[in-house]
Amino acid sequence: MSEAAATIPDTPLFDRAGSIRGYRINKMAMALGQPANRAAFKADEEAYLDSFGLSAHEKSAVMGRDWHEMVRLGGNLFFILKISAVDPTPITRIGAAQASMEHEDFLHLRLGKKRNG
Amino acid sequence: MAKIIGGLGTSHVPSIGAALDKGLRDTPDWKPFFDGYEVGKQWMRDAKPDIAVVVFNDHGNTFFLDRVPTFAVGVAETYNPVDEGWGPRAIPAFEGAVDFSWHFVDKLVERHFDPMVCREIEVDHGLQVPMELFFGRPEAWPVKVLPIWVNTIQYPIPTPQRCWDMGKVLREAIESWPGDERVVILGTGGLSHQLQGARAGFINQAADRAWLDGIASNPEPYRAMSREDYVEQFGSEGAELIMWLVMRAAMNSDVNLIHKHYHAPASMTGAGMVVLENAA
Repeated sequence: MSEAAATIPDTPLFDRAGSIRGYRINKMAMALGQPANRAAFKADEEAYLDSFGLSAHEKSAVMGRDWHEMVRLGGNLFFILKISAVDPTPITRIGAAQASMEHEDFLHLRLGKKRNG
Repeated sequence: MAKIIGGLGTSHVPSIGAALDKGLRDTPDWKPFFDGYEVGKQWMRDAKPDIAVVVFNDHGNTFFLDRVPTFAVGVAETYNPVDEGWGPRAIPAFEGAVDFSWHFVDKLVERHFDPMVCREIEVDHGLQVPMELFFGRPEAWPVKVLPIWVNTIQYPIPTPQRCWDMGKVLREAIESWPGDERVVILGTGGLSHQLQGARAGFINQAADRAWLDGIASNPEPYRAMSREDYVEQFGSEGAELIMWLVMRAAMNSDVNLIHKHYHAPASMTGAGMVVLENAA
């Protein structure tokens, strides 16, 4: 399945390799479903990430809100969306970042929305 | 025996619930989407179901990657809405159709399915949003629910054929249930969308519109499609559409397409619904 699916361009599927690679990031993000963890994340983000054992590279992707890199490191959108809920960051901005497009261009060219003005 | 009074297919995009929470229903972005569901809500008021079977996937809210059931079935008394990171939502808890749910579990295992059976569990927008779209925001939900979770997050996800087969067992469970409840089945998820990778934002309106008609009149090609085909046509997260097959397989081969609605984009998703009734 994963080998065949890998042939669909620009479409990473969350397979065994991704699940293993992204386990720490996803576990950290999943925990943000708890209000106490959201408070800890807001109070001292790096200490929160350290408590889940994230590597320096993973921490830098999260703290820089580098959505593209978080996904590349195995972060699954459904988990890391909880980071965007804390910020908050609209999901379309996360989409645009992954598509390497300006937000307005992304809304127009990918999602078919009319341009503002 | 209990009676299947209808099969519904619908999107379950979380932004739909958020739009309702923020009072955005009648804004230009959302009004055309919600207006199209009014006929579905009216259908539901007239149909007066007792039980809603909701087929959906969890989105990293209830199940983490430490345990990923391919199929899970709820047998709980009550299902509370889960906090997805934005805080609790002001919607009522869902009452479980406990005895009927256990009966479904019995039938599944008898027919060689191996579900995880969940006695105490919360539900995310995958169940919440379809209920809100068809029942509005009542003080209490007018139906009991039977939740069925399908893993569509971590590969391998189940095959379309397996979802179809589960729908056949669901029908058998409903028809062999001694009560006289009126049952509506909601297959949820989709339509086309992709949240991850450089193809993020992929929407395929032509495939979505073909789906809404085809799922009613000629679902066979969709049953036979591979998971890769779903991802290619509908996007990586659009593969959620396999869950509509559980609903469709529980219905007669011949159904009437009573209502359909399509709108794109809802957030980053092609969104819509169908209402199907068994043909006489």
